[in-house]
Amino acid sequence: MGDDPHPTPPPKLHATRLTRAFGRGSKRVDALGPVELDVAPGEFTCIVGPSGCGKSTLLRIAAGLLRPSSGRLEIRTDSARPAAMIFQDYGIYDWKTVLANVRFGLDIQRVPRKEADARAHALLARMGLADFAQAYPSALSGGMQQRVAIARALAVEPEILLMDEPFAALDAQLRTILQDELLELTQATRTTTLFITHSLEEAIVLGDRVLVMSSRPGRIIAERRPPFARPRTGDIRDSPEFTALKGELWELLRGEVRPEVVPV
Amino acid sequence: MTTTTKAPQPDLLVREPGPQELDPARTHRRRRTLEISLAVAVPAVLLLLWQLAAVQGWIDDRIYPAPQTILEDGVERAAAGELWPDVWATLKRVLAGYAVGTVSGYALGLLMGSLSLVRAALEPLLDALYVVPKLALLPIFLNMFGLGEGPQIALVAATVFFFVWISTMAAVLAVPTGHRDAGQVFGATPWQMFRHVLLPASLPAVLVGARIAAGVAVLVIVASESIAADEGLGHLIFDSRALFQNDIMFVGIVCVAVLGVLFSELVRLVGRLLTPWAPRDHGRGQS
Repeated sequence: MGDDPHPTPPPKLHATRLTRAFGRGSKRVDALGPVELDVAPGEFTCIVGPSGCGKSTLLRIAAGLLRPSSGRLEIRTDSARPAAMIFQDYGIYDWKTVLANVRFGLDIQRVPRKEADARAHALLARMGLADFAQAYPSALSGGMQQRVAIARALAVEPEILLMDEPFAALDAQLRTILQDELLELTQATRTTTLFITHSLEEAIVLGDRVLVMSSRPGRIIAERRPPFARPRTGDIRDSPEFTALKGELWELLRGEVRPEVVPV
Repeated sequence: MTTTTKAPQPDLLVREPGPQELDPARTHRRRRTLEISLAVAVPAVLLLLWQLAAVQGWIDDRIYPAPQTILEDGVERAAAGELWPDVWATLKRVLAGYAVGTVSGYALGLLMGSLSLVRAALEPLLDALYVVPKLALLPIFLNMFGLGEGPQIALVAATVFFFVWISTMAAVLAVPTGHRDAGQVFGATPWQMFRHVLLPASLPAVLVGARIAAGVAVLVIVASESIAADEGLGHLIFDSRALFQNDIMFVGIVCVAVLGVLFSELVRLVGRLLTPWAPRDHGRGQS
């Protein structure tokens, strides 16, 4: 991307000519790319784009759930599983208590029970969920459940955080609150993050960079850096720069959001 | 699927295309070939083992005749026209009983699914009858219908009825409120509600019940024919065993198996034609 002003540290993520297609023969659908992408360590990158443009595909490749059809994605890490992912739904397990859900990643990585419990409790306290440790997710509201999902991802202290429209199922007010909470959390930890969203506002509030993707097959057609210094708060939503950037991004995106039926 | 591959560099994790991505057509072709070969090879190997065991005398071929012997006997009986009366008798009973059971089970299931009072009145009773082994009802049917086709058909019908009834009722109860509400706001009459909403919404689940019932129908008829019938495959199997004609017994068993598979596949095919919107299910029936 042209106006990238920080060449100094080697990128945490480096994608070259990354593509992904689904199906075979005449039913082949090119879902993604080619995508060129560099993400610096500690950078919070938001990706916006029309439905079906392959945003999630890109994230799933980064997560190791899917292989690319061509090209390659390099992740600079020593670990074999450096990422944690937060899903729109289906993320947390109904049959585990809140505490057990948050501890899940640690249990999988065979962290000793005592230490895992301590880390899970600390995170729950930080997320305002301390009183619900022994509750089952079905007893919680949607916002609380998504907080549990965030806590579960952060519990493993991932090098890379992958978020796939994590707030899409929440109502607008709750969304704003969770955005502000996530902003505070990520500014404290500075984890490298890929964040996918439909909401331009969300992307601008949270992101160091906002990437705009084209309709399918998704390519990155623009990049903007929200001009707000960190640490920032949700108050930037009221600034004229915010509104201007949102308008600019919408102009870019509008041409890509075509009213067509997208067969999946 | 795991796609973590360590690159030569120690601190680099690389996500890149695997064989499946590089040549999807070839991978798919290979996979299909392997699946089909396995589907054919497993039964073939078992049959060959059986044949070998019989020929080598590892098993007593008077009790377990070789597959080849069974095949030859089957062909011989079929050619002589001795097999068809039994096959036809069984088929007739299964089809008649299945038709009666499906229609009545579906009707009552719909009624009980839609009207809570009917459900309250009949559910405890039918639940109790559901667990009674249907074969235990055969004596009652024999008393009711006398000898002949009646008791056999009634038994199949009673068996099929319960499967279809229970899956229909559950399916109708599971129709989402939103679907009903949309019709109700437009002022749909009960018939319109049934025709446009309840029938199509419940059909896929009903068809699963109907397919399970198809297999069980064959199972029940064979058992019942062995007790009280002068012809039919069940009669053939048990009669030939009594006469120590084990090869003919196996011919009967093979015929039952083929009949069951054909019947439940037929029901599946009809179901697929009736519900073009439903996701294709590739699973086998329970027959």
